[in-house]
Amino acid sequence: MEQQNKAHRAVRKKSQKVAAQNNGQNPKAFAVAAPRRLERQARRTLDVNEKRFHVPMVDRTPEEPPPVIVAVVGPPGTGKTTLIKSLVRRYTKHTLSDIRGPVTVVSGKRRRLTFIECANDMNSMIDIGKIADLVLLMIDGNFGFEMETMEFLNILAPHGFPRILGVATHLDLFKSPATLRASKKRLKHRLWTEVYKGAKLFYLSGVLNGRYPDREILNLARFISVMKFRPLKWRNEHSYLLADRIVDITHPAEIERNSKIDRKVTIYGYVHGTPLPALNARVHVPGIGDLTISDTERLPDPCPTPYQEKKDVEEGKIKRRKRLDDRLKVIYAPMSDVGGVLIDKDAVYIDIGHRSFVEGEEKGVGERLVVGLQNAKTTLGEGAAGIRLFSGAEALNEIKPEDDEDDDIRKRNSGRKERRHGRAIAGESYPGHSDVGNDDDGDDEDEDEDYDDADAEEAAYSKSMASRLVDNDEGEAEEFEFADSDSDLGDYDDVDDFEVGSGDLRWKSNLADRALKDYNRRKWDIGKLLYLDHISPEDVIMRWKHEQLSSAVVDGEEEDIEDDAFASENGDGDNGDNFFKKRENSSILPADAEVIDRTIPVYDDESLKDKWSVSSPAFAALKGRFITRQSDESDEVNSSDLDSDGDDVFGNFEDLETGQTITGSSAEEEKQHSVSGEEEAEEQKEISYDKVREANARKKEKFRLRFEEEEQQEDDGLGDDDPEKKLYDTWHDAQKAKIAKQLEINKAEFDEMDSATRERVEGYRAGQYVRMVIDNVPCEFIETLDPTFPVIIGSLLASEDRLGFLQVRIKRHRWHKKILKSNDPLIFSLGWRRFQSIPIYTTSDSRTRNRMLKYTPEHLHCTGTFYGPLIAPNTGFCAVQSVANGAASGAFRIAATGIVLDVDQSVQIVKKLKLVGTPYKIFKNTAFIQGMFNSALEVAKFEGATIKTVSGIRGQIKRALSKPEGYYRATFEDKILMSDIVILRAWYPIQPRKLYNPVTSLLLNEKTEWQGMRLTGELRHEKNLPVPQLKDSDYTTIERAVRRFNPLRVPKTIRSELPFKSQIAMMNPQKKESYLQKRAVVVGGTEKKKRDMMQKVMTLRNEQVRKRHEKKRERKTAYQKKVAENEEKRKERERKDKQEFFKRQGKRRNTGESGGGGKRHRGDDE
Amino acid sequence: MVAPPVLYNGHVDFRMRLVLATLSGRAIKIDRIRSDDMEPGLKDYEVSFLRLLEAITNGSVIEISYTGTTVIYKPGLIVNGTVTHNCPLSRAVGYFLEPVLLLAPFGKSALSLTLQGVTSNGVDLGVDTIRTALFPIYNKFGIMRQELRVIKRGAPPLGGGEVNVFLPHVVLQPTTLHAAVKTPSVSKIRGVAYSTRVSPASVNRIIEGARGVLSMTGCETFIYSDVARGEESGKSPGFGVSLVAEARSGWCYTAESVGGPGETPEDVGERAARALLEEVAQGGMVCRSQVKTLIVLMVVGKEDIGRVLIGKGVIDEGFVRLLRDIKTMWGAEVRIKEQETLDEEDEQAEGLEEYVVSIKGVGFINSSKKIA
Repeated sequence: MEQQNKAHRAVRKKSQKVAAQNNGQNPKAFAVAAPRRLERQARRTLDVNEKRFHVPMVDRTPEEPPPVIVAVVGPPGTGKTTLIKSLVRRYTKHTLSDIRGPVTVVSGKRRRLTFIECANDMNSMIDIGKIADLVLLMIDGNFGFEMETMEFLNILAPHGFPRILGVATHLDLFKSPATLRASKKRLKHRLWTEVYKGAKLFYLSGVLNGRYPDREILNLARFISVMKFRPLKWRNEHSYLLADRIVDITHPAEIERNSKIDRKVTIYGYVHGTPLPALNARVHVPGIGDLTISDTERLPDPCPTPYQEKKDVEEGKIKRRKRLDDRLKVIYAPMSDVGGVLIDKDAVYIDIGHRSFVEGEEKGVGERLVVGLQNAKTTLGEGAAGIRLFSGAEALNEIKPEDDEDDDIRKRNSGRKERRHGRAIAGESYPGHSDVGNDDDGDDEDEDEDYDDADAEEAAYSKSMASRLVDNDEGEAEEFEFADSDSDLGDYDDVDDFEVGSGDLRWKSNLADRALKDYNRRKWDIGKLLYLDHISPEDVIMRWKHEQLSSAVVDGEEEDIEDDAFASENGDGDNGDNFFKKRENSSILPADAEVIDRTIPVYDDESLKDKWSVSSPAFAALKGRFITRQSDESDEVNSSDLDSDGDDVFGNFEDLETGQTITGSSAEEEKQHSVSGEEEAEEQKEISYDKVREANARKKEKFRLRFEEEEQQEDDGLGDDDPEKKLYDTWHDAQKAKIAKQLEINKAEFDEMDSATRERVEGYRAGQYVRMVIDNVPCEFIETLDPTFPVIIGSLLASEDRLGFLQVRIKRHRWHKKILKSNDPLIFSLGWRRFQSIPIYTTSDSRTRNRMLKYTPEHLHCTGTFYGPLIAPNTGFCAVQSVANGAASGAFRIAATGIVLDVDQSVQIVKKLKLVGTPYKIFKNTAFIQGMFNSALEVAKFEGATIKTVSGIRGQIKRALSKPEGYYRATFEDKILMSDIVILRAWYPIQPRKLYNPVTSLLLNEKTEWQGMRLTGELRHEKNLPVPQLKDSDYTTIERAVRRFNPLRVPKTIRSELPFKSQIAMMNPQKKESYLQKRAVVVGGTEKKKRDMMQKVMTLRNEQVRKRHEKKRERKTAYQKKVAENEEKRKERERKDKQEFFKRQGKRRNTGESGGGGKRHRGDDE
Repeated sequence: MVAPPVLYNGHVDFRMRLVLATLSGRAIKIDRIRSDDMEPGLKDYEVSFLRLLEAITNGSVIEISYTGTTVIYKPGLIVNGTVTHNCPLSRAVGYFLEPVLLLAPFGKSALSLTLQGVTSNGVDLGVDTIRTALFPIYNKFGIMRQELRVIKRGAPPLGGGEVNVFLPHVVLQPTTLHAAVKTPSVSKIRGVAYSTRVSPASVNRIIEGARGVLSMTGCETFIYSDVARGEESGKSPGFGVSLVAEARSGWCYTAESVGGPGETPEDVGERAARALLEEVAQGGMVCRSQVKTLIVLMVVGKEDIGRVLIGKGVIDEGFVRLLRDIKTMWGAEVRIKEQETLDEEDEQAEGLEEYVVSIKGVGFINSSKKIA
């Protein structure tokens, strides 16, 4: 065989890569011309883009948004009411005379506005600040900003800043245009510092016909209509509602009986924020307190937008209107005087003004009759006389307890008791299940009342339906019907088959067969069954799983289904016990899983063994769920031979083009046998190589695709459009896409549900108009109801319904006059609530302890701790000392602002405590200390504690002394002095007082005058009591004795023994007398005076002389300077002369030289 | 001011009700606890669980009536911390660990919990199953970095085991889950076979038995052996196996079995393997021992709809009770809808009856989490 060399690889031609890169263009033409400028531009673009970013927040505004709440806020006399009137007039052509409560108007195709005027009251300002979407901040342009405006702005800040539009009024009062212009500018800039730079300020001039000029109002309206709103965090997490109508629906008789009874109140309004839970929502009504909504119901929108109406027309809900009249532009203000007729679900109200049906002023017989009836203390027929239904009939004094039918039932009930015995015993044989599934939560108690015990037993009894059918009577047929009608479970209704009263009961025939048929036909919806509380969970599963029943069990089963509707929980859940046996085909045993609260399910080993064997059909079906290597290959390599290796190139493969299967062995055989046709074989082999490669590549590709597909499908739940998969420029974009995707999912899911399910799952979403019933509202709320004060219903999250300690970061407002004191009550506005609590201010001592502060620090944050309702950390709040208008002193009322840091059920705050003692005996490093403690026990508690003297010598408490009580032995690092004071630094734990006092301003007659707990100082001031003063605390003058220190005397003996270095340098006493000592005469008297005089005179003279000398020296220097100058000049002159002379001389010599030259010659010349 | 307590009766779902109460902050009253029983009132393990709850919370009030048939529980705030708890031998540590896992991510700080007692008993989730099958569920909700270390293995009846769990991750709220597109395919099967105080050979026999059944699936299978020796083993002899069928996407199915008296290791292995196949056959994203955890985590989420696919077999009485309890506690309902098969040729979904559970989160916020 000839050696086969591999063929040479064809030389690849050099591609024209370089040319292609340039692409025929001049690269220099695309260079940057001005790189620095470009860089600056790029940086600026980035900066601008970055500024646009906010934390991505989910915008949960639904398709049909609730009305925008526009609050008109400002000090009295700034024209709030006039502005609302003007705006309402602009939108609706209505002129309101008396605005009370919120006014809702349609402002555009898809927008409604609710106007609400904010009274000049701290409570109203706080409440309005929490719900307003847009604030029209009224400013008297002629006066400027007032305290209330600033207070309101500072209330808004911690509760999330809504949009603010400044409106300056009274601008017509300016006389000169220049002042007006200056004033406008001043106002604008002041507003900018408070809100943001560039905040819009509107200017309204004078009032015409009780309204602002139409043109200006039109502009304002346009501005409002295009305004966009950003979701605010708190409102994005809570549902809330501004009550636009409040009705007391307490039974009048009950009020008659007890006028102070808690009322049942319906409140109407648009839901805002997140959906309102459909069931038993806990809410807080600022000004009243925490309440539970007992019932919520959606009502048709009283003020629908044109868009919604159009949609409703399309859906056929309402009739189509040809065109929108001005008259049809809607206004909804039930508390104001619009329209005068109110139509409610259960009543129609006609506004008849305030002065009708007044006692003593009746007009006519009818009115007198009505007023007379109103005076009756008892209801009709309750009196002793009874009630006469017909003239001439006898008066009825009592109503027979029940009608005949009920009697019948009772009779039947009593009659059945005997037959029931057998069942009851049977029931007792399942004691283990007696309380399984009894999870009624008390809410169902009302329902339970309907089903008394007899009914429950009846239910149990009715299981024996088959036996009852034999001797059926009419009463039982009736009973059966009752059961059926009560059952709202099945989709089918076979009430037609019941012909009650007819002699021949058609439905009785063939019952079992039909029941079986029905049962098998029926398909239970788990979603429906799930929350039917009267069906036990066991039954739910049993019905839903819908196992095929044999006809033997069907009778009982069918009945059971029917009965369960009223069997309720009293049925003890053992209704289904008979039917557990039918589940035997399932591999899961019911067993006692629930009884012992186990997590691992119970399996029936035997059935599992049968189920999961190789040959079983279940196993075959399951095989597709596993990813296996074998299965992948068997897909690709379609061969009869399973044990072939995948990587064997001579292995089996399918010629995909021809569809012919070639096996490796056949190829080899061919090679061996056809020696003669070697070339042919070669050829074929080559072909097969290519084929193999091709097939392998294909296989690989298929594998890759398959895996990719698998990975993609399994990784995400969102399918292809998972935002996580896509690439975004910024993190911000990715987050926004994620949020958008989630909202899309929400919408799709909710749209699939019918409205009832949706309400249960989602709740009442924003924009829906609801009527909610609240029980147990204090009667004062209704009695003192004043629509000018807003009533807000704010929903509470589950965690916000608890009380505990809140740790907050707090800062006294810099405009508040007084500093705040620990343990002084403060009114907080936190979450929905306004409440009074007692804070303690603390600071963190190097993060080891929270030390109490007596007062808030100036211009610094500190930590505050108070007792109150728990709320999620990061929630902002503001605090005031008093909400009563009467207590306002004209100073800035916002006392502090801050945010919640932490909530807990207990806090650790310590107070600094210094115990002081003095030594009474000192040894070397040991000293006995007195006056710090009173007993040995106290000392024992502090044994080992570090102490310190004022001079800084540290020590430790060792042991109590036995004798003087409270004295102890201590050691120090050095010897202390008797005069030292010994200090023990200790920490004393304190607890904040547990005061939570909600501001119940809406329950007062004077709603602006709520007064909470007062300060001690206020009380003392009021009662005129002196401040008690401890004598110890008085400041007195400190008298300090002068301390004498004796000089250090070293005895001679010691001194002599000291080493040289430590020798004390001593001067020998002077032996010679000094001059003074020697001097005999001491001047005195007149001599001394003379000398003194002379000295003074001499001093003066000396001074004069000195000055003269000075002058002289100056003059002298000036003169010398001049002389020197002259000298200089002279010298210069002489030099010049000399030069001149020699020049001349030289010239002369030159000429002389021509004739002779040299000195000599000159001399000769001369 | 404070909402009235939610009333329950009977001892059923005792743990879950307490967990829901703690998460929602509502007080509950459970009465008629085994009132008709020969031994009325709370069992020792239930009391022990209440103790544990008290240890990891602050401010909880637990009142047990004289007979023990009524319990009033006013939940405090979850604070976590370092806790050691001695579990009664009547239940495995899984009984206590399972609810604690649900609470711990919503606490104030990390939880380091040491539980002593029986590590697995075949009734409550074994510690291996919790680590391999329950932790991945939490990971799906963005709750990460849990650690579980088995210090000693304790078999029933005398226990003597010790487990240390470290749950460092405190979250504000779990992420919304979307897992309703496709039933995951099992890509590999893993497991842990363990023994204490018996011959190490028994572990191999368990593995052999399990592999014998699982080999039929053709799926890649690996079962680790863990033989507890000396200090590591508890007081009683025992063996068992925990199996997990994992999908690529992180979802898994699990089964476990523990050797009973007179059982051969092979039987134990086979039993677990068959149970695993049974769980895989149920379909859906989770198996029965994981579903409650999953539902609770979905409920305490953002106010968005999350969806999950679950098999028909997973919906049982306990599931219904859980949903009803959630409704009484939060007023939230869920929606269950039958999954329509996406395409006909998909052989995997064939024969599976699956349901999509859509849950809107209640807007729960972990209010005990501190801010800096």
